[in-house]
Amino acid sequence: MSWYALLFGPDGWIGLLLKGAVVTVALSVTTAPFGFGAGLALALMKMSRNRLLRAACDVYTTFFRGIPDLLALFIIYFGLQALLDRTSKLLGLEGHLELSAFSAGVIALSVVVAAYSSEVWIASLAAVPAGQREAAQSLGLDRAQVFRLVILPQLGRVALPGLGNIWMILQKDTALISTLAVTDLLRAASEASRATTRPLVFYTAAGALYLCFTLVSGVVQGALERRANRGYA
Amino acid sequence: MPAWSQDVLRFVINTELLAQYGWRLLTGLQMTAAVVGLSFCLGFVLAWPVALARMSRRFAVSRLAASYIAVFRGTPLLCQLYLIYYGGGEFRPFFTEVGVWWFFRDAYYCCILSFTLNTAAYQAEILRGAIQSVPKGQVEAARALGLSWLAIMRHVVMPQALLVAIRPLGNELISVIKASALAAIVTLLDLMGQTRFVFARTFDFSIYLYCALIYLALTEMTRRVVEAIEMRLSRHVRAGAPSITVVAPKRRYRVGLGGVRL
Amino acid sequence: MKTANAMVLAKRCLAALGVAAALVTAQAQAKEWKTVRIGMDATYPPFESVNAKGEIVGWEVDYATELCKRMKVTCTFQNQDWDGIIPSLVANKFDVIMSSMNITDKRKALVNFSQVYFSTPPVFVGAAGVKSTDVSPEALKGKTIGTQSSTTFANYLEAMYKGSEIKLYPGGDEPQNDLKAGRLDYTLTDLIVGTNFVEKVGAGCCKVVTEIKRVPEFFGPGVGAAFRKEDADLTAMFNKAIDEVDADGTYKKIADGYFKINIRGK
Repeated sequence: MSWYALLFGPDGWIGLLLKGAVVTVALSVTTAPFGFGAGLALALMKMSRNRLLRAACDVYTTFFRGIPDLLALFIIYFGLQALLDRTSKLLGLEGHLELSAFSAGVIALSVVVAAYSSEVWIASLAAVPAGQREAAQSLGLDRAQVFRLVILPQLGRVALPGLGNIWMILQKDTALISTLAVTDLLRAASEASRATTRPLVFYTAAGALYLCFTLVSGVVQGALERRANRGYA
Repeated sequence: MPAWSQDVLRFVINTELLAQYGWRLLTGLQMTAAVVGLSFCLGFVLAWPVALARMSRRFAVSRLAASYIAVFRGTPLLCQLYLIYYGGGEFRPFFTEVGVWWFFRDAYYCCILSFTLNTAAYQAEILRGAIQSVPKGQVEAARALGLSWLAIMRHVVMPQALLVAIRPLGNELISVIKASALAAIVTLLDLMGQTRFVFARTFDFSIYLYCALIYLALTEMTRRVVEAIEMRLSRHVRAGAPSITVVAPKRRYRVGLGGVRL
Repeated sequence: MKTANAMVLAKRCLAALGVAAALVTAQAQAKEWKTVRIGMDATYPPFESVNAKGEIVGWEVDYATELCKRMKVTCTFQNQDWDGIIPSLVANKFDVIMSSMNITDKRKALVNFSQVYFSTPPVFVGAAGVKSTDVSPEALKGKTIGTQSSTTFANYLEAMYKGSEIKLYPGGDEPQNDLKAGRLDYTLTDLIVGTNFVEKVGAGCCKVVTEIKRVPEFFGPGVGAAFRKEDADLTAMFNKAIDEVDADGTYKKIADGYFKINIRGK
């Protein structure tokens, strides 16, 4: 069968590939806010005065940055459900709380992305000059206000390149979920190539689609960075 | 002692499992080390021409290098590995004819090939950044002194560029260590592969914990060694000059993305 | 930013995450079985595989659907990689494994099994050039044999074929694909799966070399559905349904649509 027929013929697999592509995009789009948000929380906790909290956060990031993402996803994917079951039993809930494969994937990816992005947030927090905080405090703003009104608006600009990097990593990390249970783009390609015993065409097609995502992301990131830097040119 | 803490203890310290299958983890570690070492070094060798081509003034050459980098950085390594391993199988008649089938037949070589191509793309970008960090004036001055291109590269650009590149290259090495776990998916019995094997036999989740700890030790060690090397080599630069690490009051934060990939 | 407000924000972020987590968790399920989620590793045609629409199809799907009809429950099918299929069952990702899983003592320590619902012999598939039908460990010394990891086949090869190089794949069809690619000399798989593959790709690629006996200590009595230990009620429901489907000849009707041989093993 020709490549064309394998993809677009009557029994062509392009539909499944595109469905997988949608799942891949949905996975990264859903994960990003949770992962980045948790990363910011982690960064702030790492700067707290509480030594124990700081140490715990350091252990967390060191662990998840130090082990293969494949392994991390596997551990979270299976560990999380066990944890949920334990907790619901402890709370005396009837039955069990269940996570869909997709949301388990989102959580697993968020845990990893949080560890990565906390470093970016820390760097951008450090980049806001201390004088600004002092100035704001002397104007009578309380600490929450200082953070919300003075520091937070500047964070995004500084963190953008780093977060963009992690976004790229995240997009490619979603491919690892394919080895668990979610039919994302790569799994769709792998299913197609198994069924037809013609791997080349499907993995090439999947690669091309991934490349489209990253290229589009690159363009969007560039535009966002230009916009964020308007006042600094 | 409450029952759950005994559970936890049994999970963390599982001597029976370690005694029976510990050697498997060690042979797996050996395989991981071989794959990572080879691919990283070969990738480093390949990265130089790619980086130089990327900076070439000839449009076609620099475009070609840029596309190479975009493709290998823009797609998941797992996809690249599948393409080389399973896709390569489709070319068997051709590969047999040109006499390279023995290479593609072996999962070990397929892994090394795809990891090398992948890390070369990342390392090329690191090297390019490092080379461009050397002030242009130095190159112009060297040229004015009549030094050849090769001599300029060797005596002026490279020593400074490599110093800048050490830390990102260290991070890249960490990424390769982590990414190498994918080899298990194409039948290689590396650390991850052996772990899966043991789990399939015992259904004992502790083995994944041990696997994680070994990887963690590996990556942390790498990070620290690279940091020490950088510290030592950059003594002359650091004296008086501003440091490249961001120093916040009291605490120093690690900046950048160590060991992130895929 | 070593300030208390940092803590406040951190707590808020965590709270937001908690809410989000609560949103994605589904409703707690009642103990009465209305829907049953069946997990399969759909890499094992013609028992279970994925078609171009992304649906899981195959004999085991049809058979399971019939069982569910008898039990008056709605069944959903989930695809799950084989390596994680038992952890997923235990972790409550689905309620039953029906994925050509042989009943073994090792697995029985972790899950409950229904009665056997089919039993077929293992088979060696070899490259087209293989002439001899001798598949003894001595004859296959130095050869490369592939099979799916975490299977009875894998355990059998590891124990008996110490002189051969054994390659383990995550999927059930990957060894056959790699046999076609020329990376393997033999694969060990199920008779039906092996025959189906050879028919699909043609004799130019490979051939079914020979069946081997189902050595009980490796392969067990046959294939059963697997359940969590605590779901004894569900196990009983399935056992009853299996009997019913056997008794009125529906089993034979479904099997005849797929296979030329009797797979019931009874």
